[in-house]
Amino acid sequence: MTRTFNPLAFRAVLAAALALAALWAGPAPAGPYIETPMLEAQVKEGKLPPVDKRLPENPLVEKMAGEGTSIGKHGGELRTLMAGSKDVRMMVVYGYARLVRYNEKLELEPDLLEKVDVEEDRIFTFHLRKGHRWSDGHPFTAEDFRYFWEDVASNDKLTPTGIPAQLLAAGEKPTFRLIDAYTVRYSWPKANPAFLAQLAGASPLYIYRPAHYLKRFHEKYSDPTSLQRAARAAGQRSWAPWHNLVDNQYKNDNINLPQLDPWINTTTTPSDRFVFVRNPYFHRVDREGRQLPYVDKVIMNIADSKIIPAKTGAGESDLQARYLRFDNYTFLRGAQKTHDFDTRLWRTGIGSQVALYPNLNAKDPIWKALNRDVRFRRALSLAINRHEINQVIYYGLALEGQNTLLPESPLYRKEYADMWAKFDLPQANRLLDEVGLTKRDNRGIRLLPDGRVLEVIVETAGESTEQVDVLELIRDTWAKAGIKLFTKPSQREVFRNRVFSGETVMAVWGGIDNALATPGMAPDEFTPVKQDRLMWPKWGQFYETKGKSGEVPDMKWGQELMQLHAEWYQARKREDLTRVWNRILEINAEEVTSIGIVSGVPQPVVVSRRLRNLPQKGMFSWEPGAHFGVYRMDTLWFEGPARTASAGRTSTPTRP
Amino acid sequence: MLSYLVHRILIMIPTLLAISALTFMIIQLPPGDYLETYIAELESQGENVDPAKIQYLREQYGLDEPMIVQYAYWLGGLLHGDMGYSFEYSQPVSKIVGDRLLLTFVVTLATVLFTYIVAFPIGVYSATHQYSWSDYGLTFFGFLGLATPNFLLALVLLYLFNRYFGISIGGLMEPEFVDTPWSMGKLMSVIQHLVVPTVVIGTAGTAGMIRRLRANLLDELQKQYVVTGRAKGLPPLKLLLKYPLRMSLNPFISDIGDLLPELVSGSVIVSVVMSLPTTGPMLLAALRSQDMYLAGSFLMFLAMLTVIGMFISDLALAVLDPRIRLHGGATK
Repeated sequence: MTRTFNPLAFRAVLAAALALAALWAGPAPAGPYIETPMLEAQVKEGKLPPVDKRLPENPLVEKMAGEGTSIGKHGGELRTLMAGSKDVRMMVVYGYARLVRYNEKLELEPDLLEKVDVEEDRIFTFHLRKGHRWSDGHPFTAEDFRYFWEDVASNDKLTPTGIPAQLLAAGEKPTFRLIDAYTVRYSWPKANPAFLAQLAGASPLYIYRPAHYLKRFHEKYSDPTSLQRAARAAGQRSWAPWHNLVDNQYKNDNINLPQLDPWINTTTTPSDRFVFVRNPYFHRVDREGRQLPYVDKVIMNIADSKIIPAKTGAGESDLQARYLRFDNYTFLRGAQKTHDFDTRLWRTGIGSQVALYPNLNAKDPIWKALNRDVRFRRALSLAINRHEINQVIYYGLALEGQNTLLPESPLYRKEYADMWAKFDLPQANRLLDEVGLTKRDNRGIRLLPDGRVLEVIVETAGESTEQVDVLELIRDTWAKAGIKLFTKPSQREVFRNRVFSGETVMAVWGGIDNALATPGMAPDEFTPVKQDRLMWPKWGQFYETKGKSGEVPDMKWGQELMQLHAEWYQARKREDLTRVWNRILEINAEEVTSIGIVSGVPQPVVVSRRLRNLPQKGMFSWEPGAHFGVYRMDTLWFEGPARTASAGRTSTPTRP
Repeated sequence: MLSYLVHRILIMIPTLLAISALTFMIIQLPPGDYLETYIAELESQGENVDPAKIQYLREQYGLDEPMIVQYAYWLGGLLHGDMGYSFEYSQPVSKIVGDRLLLTFVVTLATVLFTYIVAFPIGVYSATHQYSWSDYGLTFFGFLGLATPNFLLALVLLYLFNRYFGISIGGLMEPEFVDTPWSMGKLMSVIQHLVVPTVVIGTAGTAGMIRRLRANLLDELQKQYVVTGRAKGLPPLKLLLKYPLRMSLNPFISDIGDLLPELVSGSVIVSVVMSLPTTGPMLLAALRSQDMYLAGSFLMFLAMLTVIGMFISDLALAVLDPRIRLHGGATK
């Protein structure tokens, strides 16, 4: 196609445009939007509207003002490796398009929403972006929220268990009001301080659905008989299970479901290779007017989790952190000499890499009494040489301390991390003598009151050699305190069931999931409200089943934790939230509810040398942070000539 | 002969029925069911699971019905060619299996061929040059292959092949060919990737085969007719191939029946380690999560492969060895 190019005219237009741009203050991008090269052909053919019609009127502008970040350019295909078809949901996590999201400083800010008004922590008014569209071009409006509330959550065929518990505040459900096409309001009678954090989660609370797509699966909007026939043809019993099957936005397995994420899945499960293509209606732009994401496609190759480090070392991934462990680090550093990637070390956001959980609900009465004696737990903790473990297994790079929050959290206090975490064998022995375990056998191991050897059987889920290694080192020091440790590897489901039923005496697992908590985040991991916390499974079960099964907390500090939990959910002011959190953390530290070893273990992150805008040092945390989500995967870009996945194979040595 | 054939085919049916019942029962043996696995997984990801929703799902999937009823559903479906519904993938099993059955065939066939092609000449050579250095040497290598754990050998070979030939680690083809229609490029890629799995799975089988062939051939070589033939002036190679070798092939052929299930089950572990898109990894995952229809259907497929394999081997044996035909009945 020929076009006469008049340089003078072009420059004049450009100057005018820039002048206009200069007049626009604030976050609005300067001047006209730049069309995405990958979509140019479709726009010319009329299959897609031009970029300014695809974006909402007021798109979110990614400032990219941090150090090491820069404006990028469109193009490229990013390869990554995952271990199963279910991992397609990781693109929803990494893409991190949420109603409100966390920024790098873990502050909440509106993302899909244009504005959020909060009154008294219980009335939330959401303003949507005008002109924002789903990935198939249909407008994203308040109707999508209404559909979810009235036709999904409140429909007893689709949700027979009632309004999801996450939408209740103090047991009360909200009142939903559709104010206009772009504004909705949720009001609760009592405060719901956790609401926004839930919307910003890695696996978020979804309060909207693509109504225009799902209505055809709903009996209220479709002819019941033909709907039933179609459901049967799809292998479902009726319309409700079919609807529930196709509307799962997090699972990301329905390729026809419209989405708001930066990349859309185009491959049906199961497969060994998933291709995610850019969402032409994504709502974010960069400062210069390019619609994000920069990268055109994300290719997810599936491989067994055990060979993913090997494949990454062979250069088959451009961005990889999942399934890479710290002990792969030396191998990856060696491999990066002959391949085109760098291995960075990020910090992990869990409270402890490996933590021991004495089962306070153990069935065996002697072990139950022993586990409940705080002196016993403190002794166990004092008899662990954390420094040695840090040096031997983690090259001294980890932080020694208890299973509590990390220094990056505003609620962190050094005394919580250090409480009962020193290596003090004499004191440990003294405490154990105080408990009454004074008799020893001829090998020096203490005896229980009924004559059995004090042999702690620590059960593992059998998935991590790291846990077994740490337990080896603990075994040696515990022996010096007269405690015998025996590791019993098991299998995940069996392991969990045994803990829940009280068969296990002690379990080993990872530490606190969200160790970067702010006062506004729920303290659920530190209070007995969930069954899967391995130190108080029956107390947690009691809360989860609303008293139908499990046991009521029968220890004083357990009851105090429950009260504090309720208090947090009632609190309005930040000072109250902080006060409640501090008391909860204090109780957990003093009572040594779980025994932490080290935290802040580095996580290797493999990044292609041509990929820009990912920080050298970051925090690899699921909640909050969504792994790469909070670092804005949509702003990553490839420098240099565009390269497709088929051209990018192994063994291309580049600069040393 | 015909009655023998018919008899064998009819026996296959109750065999397969018994296998299906056993398979189903064993899959159900671990405590809990698919939904427990599902909950465990969700909770370990930090997601909340509503116990009431689980009960609803349980009813939906029919997991609250007695085992006999579930078994009856499945069996009825199998007879109609409906392999059931996979909970894990929320799709009918037949849709998920896809290319995997074909690729399993390909890998197994390649491995069987490799085993025979390697074991045969080595076995013959070993027998005719008994107690020579080469005999000991080859036997040693055979046993080395048998003794080395398959997955270890797989990992080492994967690394070496990637380092020196640039073949991508794991999988049966380069990533960009996955899910694309068959082409010359895809075929070449599959052949390249087939080398490592074939060698790994095959070496374990060759050792046994070599020793058996060697032992049988040695037996035959001692016999009178060989001496007679030599005395009558037959060239040694022709003598070897026409008479004693044919007699000693008996175990070679009957071993097909044993070889097939051995290869298929041995290849499950190697497939998992090497991430091959065969039935192995999917079967393992299905068993772990107690996705019973998917696991059961795969196992039935493997059982059928075994039963048919044994049938073919018995048939081939009957064809090969007239002594079996004349005496009637199966030799085993």
